[in-house]
Amino acid sequence: MNIRDFRSDMDEMLQALLLFWIPVSMVPLGVWYSLTSSPLRGRFLAFTGIVLICLSPWTVPSSPSSAAGHLLGAVIGPCMLIVLGIYLISFSGNVSVGKLPRSDRKIGVLMAAVGFAWLAGMHWWILTPQIAPDEVNPYWNVFWPTFLLLTSCLASCSAVTLLMIGEQRKTESNIMFIVSAFSFTLLLLGLNLDGPLVNAGEFRQHLWLAVADMAGIAIGSILSILVFALVIYTYERNLPDPESITPPTDSELKQVSSLIATHLGGEEE
Amino acid sequence: MKESNVVFTWRMMLLAFLIPPLLILAIEVTFFGEFKGLDSGVSFTRFANATLTAFTLCSLFLLGNLFFYGESRNRPLAPLVGMIMATGFGVLATVFLIGQGPMLLEDNGSVRAQAIYNIVHMFVSSGAILLSLCVALGATFSAITSQKQRSSFELEDE
Repeated sequence: MNIRDFRSDMDEMLQALLLFWIPVSMVPLGVWYSLTSSPLRGRFLAFTGIVLICLSPWTVPSSPSSAAGHLLGAVIGPCMLIVLGIYLISFSGNVSVGKLPRSDRKIGVLMAAVGFAWLAGMHWWILTPQIAPDEVNPYWNVFWPTFLLLTSCLASCSAVTLLMIGEQRKTESNIMFIVSAFSFTLLLLGLNLDGPLVNAGEFRQHLWLAVADMAGIAIGSILSILVFALVIYTYERNLPDPESITPPTDSELKQVSSLIATHLGGEEE
Repeated sequence: MKESNVVFTWRMMLLAFLIPPLLILAIEVTFFGEFKGLDSGVSFTRFANATLTAFTLCSLFLLGNLFFYGESRNRPLAPLVGMIMATGFGVLATVFLIGQGPMLLEDNGSVRAQAIYNIVHMFVSSGAILLSLCVALGATFSAITSQKQRSSFELEDE
C-alpha cells in the first residue's frame, strides 16, 4: 500500500484515529483478551498495536501524538534489555521455581548494563530521540527525569523496607541503596552536565515538571480509588440482609456427625 | 509487631521514598539559594492536568473492573452507574477547567488539543513509572535471590 497516497486522501483527525488511537486501544484490549479468552490472539493484537504505534511517526506525521510512538520505538530496545536482564539475574539465583542456569547471571548483568548505558547515551551522547534534526522528542524530557527520580525513590524505599521488615537483610539493603545512589547520581549529572541536545537547565525544568506530574498522578489515582471504594461501600451497605435459614434438623445433624466421624482419627504409622 | 512500631516503619519507608527529591531540593538551595528552573505556574498547570487526567483514566480502568465485580453480584447496575458518573465528572471537569483560559493550557491552542496531549503525556509518564517499578522490584528480588539460601527451620539444619 502506498502510505503517502492513503494519507493525503484522509482527514488528519481520521488518520490519527485510525493509525494512532485505534492501535493504542489495541494494546490493553489485547492484554485483556490474552488474560481472559485466547492468549495467542490477545498477544498478537497487543503486538500489532505496539508495532503500529511505533510506526505512527511515519504513518501519521501530522499528529503531535505520534511523537509518543517515536519515543516508544526509541526506548523499547533499552527497556527490554533492562527488564530481560533483571529477569535473568533474578531467576539464575536461589529460586525454588523456574531456576535458570548460573551462567545466565552474567548475561543478565551485561544486558541490564547495556540497557542503562543506552538510555544514558540518549541524554549525554548522540542517541537522543529526535523527531527532526536537532529537535529532541518532547516526550523524552518527560520519560527520562520521571524514570530516574522514581527509580531512586523506590530503590531507597525498598532498601529501608528490607532493613526494617526483613531479617538479616543488610547485604540486600546495601545493594538497593547502591541502585538508588546510582540513579540519583545520574540525576545529579543531568542537573550539571549538558548533553549534545539536552542542556542541564532544560533537564532541571523538566525534573520539577516530573515531580509535579508524579504528585498529580498519585493524587488523581488515589481520589479515583476512593470514589470506587465509596461506590462499592454504598452499594453493599444498601443491600438487604441475607434471608435466615431454618436450623438443621436432627437427621441432618446425625448425618453431619457420621460424616465427621469417618474423617477423624487416622491409621498409626 | 506493635502498632507503634508499624507506624514508625511506615513513616521511615515514606521518608526513604522522599529522600531523593528532598536531597535535590537541599542541594539546589545550598548551591543556588533558590529552586533554580522551578516555575510554580507551569508546575501547577502540569500538576492540575496530571491530577484530572489520572482521575479520569483511573476511573475508566476501575469502571472496567466493575464488570468482574458484577459477575459475583448478579450484575448490579448501581455501582456501574456510580463509576460512569465519576468518570463523566472527570471528563467534564477536565473540559470545563481547561476551557476557562490559559490556566490549564500548556503549549496547546484548544481544549481538545490539551486533552489529547494530557492523555499521551499520561501514557509516557505511566511507561516511565512502570519501568522504574520493574527496575526497583526486580533489583530487590535479584538482591534477595543472589544471597545464599536460608533455612526457615533450625531443626532442618541439625
